[in-house]
Formats: sequence, C-alpha cells, structure tokens
Amino acid sequence: MSAGIDIAVFAGTDPIWTIAEEVFTAMIDGEPGYLRVWDGPVPTLSDERYAWVDVHGAMPGRVLLTSELPTVEHLTRALLGMDETEAVSDADLVDALGEVANVVGGNVKALVPDPGVLTLPEVTHERPSTEGQDLLYELALDWRGRILLISLWKLP
Amino acid sequence: MRVLVADDSRVMRQIVIRTLRQAGYDWWEITEAPDGAAALEMVVQDDPDLVLSDWNMPEMTGIELLRTMRAQGIETPFGFVTSEGSTEMREQADAAGALFLIAKPFSAETFRDTIDPFLA
Repeated sequence: MSAGIDIAVFAGTDPIWTIAEEVFTAMIDGEPGYLRVWDGPVPTLSDERYAWVDVHGAMPGRVLLTSELPTVEHLTRALLGMDETEAVSDADLVDALGEVANVVGGNVKALVPDPGVLTLPEVTHERPSTEGQDLLYELALDWRGRILLISLWKLP
Repeated sequence: MRVLVADDSRVMRQIVIRTLRQAGYDWWEITEAPDGAAALEMVVQDDPDLVLSDWNMPEMTGIELLRTMRAQGIETPFGFVTSEGSTEMREQADAAGALFLIAKPFSAETFRDTIDPFLA
C-alpha cells in the first residue's frame, strides 16, 4: 500500500504528520499545538494498546497506532469531552483508539493510487503479528508529553 | 428538524453531534443508529428530515443504506460523514443520490459550509 506513496510530491512535508496533526487538531484538541514529533530516542512502551486498519487491494497494507494505556485513556476522555477524573470504560477506550486509527487510515488510504477496501478498525492489548510484513514507515508523536506511534506496514 | 446520525462508533457519533452543535445546529433533534441496518429501520419508522451516515459500517454500509433507501422509494436527504473522501467514493455517493460527503477529520466550519446550502 504505502510503497505506492511518493513522498517527493509532498514538497518535503511528511504527509503522515500532516494527517496526524489535522486529526488531533479537529477531533481531539480543538486547536493546533498539542501534537509534535517526538524529540529524542523512542522509549520502550509499557501496557501498550494497538489499533489498526488494513487496506485490501492491489497493494495491501496496514496503518497501526501504538500507545500506552494511560495515553489512550486521556485520548478517550478528550474525544468524548469527559473530565480528567471520569473513569473510561473498556468499550469507549476501544472505540476511541479504533476511530483514531480509522480516520488516520482513511486519510492515508487517500494518498495511495488505486486503493482497495478499508477494513473496520481492530484494537488489542497484544501486539498484532507482523510475520511476513514489511515496516515501511514509522512516526513517533508527542501528544501532551505522551508518546504515540504511527506505523505503516506492507502486508503479504 | 429531525436528523439521524449513523455511525458504528459511539465516539464518532458524539463528535459529529458535538460538531453539529458547534456549527449552530443546536435546534436539531438528533437520533443515533449504530449501523446501516439499524439506520434503515429508523428511517422507515421515524421518517427523519436528514440522514448523516458513516460509509464503512458493519451489517450494512452507508452506501448500501442509501441505495436501499432509494430503491424503496425513500427520498430522505442524505449526506456522508466518513473517514475516506476519495474521488471514486464521492462519485459513488453522488450517483446514489447523496447531497454531500464530508471527510473526517472535520470542523464546525466544514459542516456549516457544506450543510447550510441545503437548508434554504
């Protein structure tokens, strides 16, 4: 999938970063400035949550979001307009992270010539298998001091 | 004005409804459906004035919902709010009779600019 993205046509800008910034500004923060590219080495994550969508078709690929549980809880509260003290249900957490993956994935799909069908998002605690897949791209993001990874994979 | 918002994500339905309020449509009576099949039942039963639907949903997709409505002679105004906005999808939406397609992520301004022309 993403092997078909010609980064050069974006005149030096990173289209994945642009998509992520638009998604966080419009859906999550309501204003720009809270999402940055992660500065420095990427730390080892703990208590991870994974969300992804696949694009089926001539060039099958996956858009995978990875973050830590506390970050996903904050993300869910922000998306639903909840107070910081409110408990987040598992269902809302899965829904929120999956929807962020869905919107990012839908916009990544738009970069690909002749894309196939976008799957519904999946969210897990266990890292999805990457057997036979090629990592095409990874972007580490800093959202309010918390780390979030976006990676693009070429599926077998 | 009675509006049906169809999306399999509760989070996204909340965001759509919040953004509609921010866009000034706080006078709308909004109901929600979790997929296309449920939305079709609600359209038949409640006859809303407008349907705002996601595209990619379980049970029945948004485009299947729209085509089924039109095949049944239901001419309720219909717009998509979806994470994909490719030219091909816009053409499919247009051919099926959708008024517009709003791609996620969206803003209140996008909603106003897109929906207002159809409210006259």
